[in-house]
Amino acid sequence: MNGWILAATVLLAGGAGTALWGVATGPLSRRVVAQNLSTSVVCASLLLLAQGYDRTAYVDLGLLLAVLGPVGTLVFARLLAEDLTDDRAAAWGLTWTTVGVDAAVVVALCVAAGPGRAMVKLLVVGALLIGGNLVASRALSGGFQGVRGG
Amino acid sequence: MADAVIVVALLLTAGAATAAVAVRDPARQALVLSLLGLFLGVVFTVLQAPDVGLSQLAVGSALTPLLIMLSVRKVRRRGKEGGK
Repeated sequence: MNGWILAATVLLAGGAGTALWGVATGPLSRRVVAQNLSTSVVCASLLLLAQGYDRTAYVDLGLLLAVLGPVGTLVFARLLAEDLTDDRAAAWGLTWTTVGVDAAVVVALCVAAGPGRAMVKLLVVGALLIGGNLVASRALSGGFQGVRGG
Repeated sequence: MADAVIVVALLLTAGAATAAVAVRDPARQALVLSLLGLFLGVVFTVLQAPDVGLSQLAVGSALTPLLIMLSVRKVRRRGKEGGK
């Protein structure tokens, strides 16, 4: 067991455990926020696991999750829009915290990978993850008022 | 010690599955279910089956919640129309 896998374990136990607790209890607005943040945490730990197992192919899992995770959150934001109108799901402090964690993980992995194709891929995954997370958070907090109904 | 990550992933999966059963509202169940999909993907990855994990993540994170939420909305609408 090396440091990367240890970091992934800690991130999973702490971050994903908190997300599970948040999604299982409390009002609906808290649950959708927890669902959104679980994507960031799990994607970051998948990237750490790829580095820990020393298999660059595992980065594809993180890439897929960085693309599809925010899509899943947008599905909830769209279809639960009526339930969320009187109870805005805004948690920007938590969002920026997870964005910071994601950025730190991606930077650490880039330093470990060194310049090259792998680093470009990691940067693309990180940009997709952080961008998607911010868009999904904005959608949950009612940022896109023009897109309604349906 | 090397199995710690497997234990954590399995515990998270068991917790998410239990929560998905314990929560009663279908819309909230869909939220827990998307987390369960993510955790199952992690379990497959730490058990060195990333191909299975890849398809599990694709299906579990976006497709299953979408299908459930669409069905819930349709049922709710039909219920409202029947109420009138």
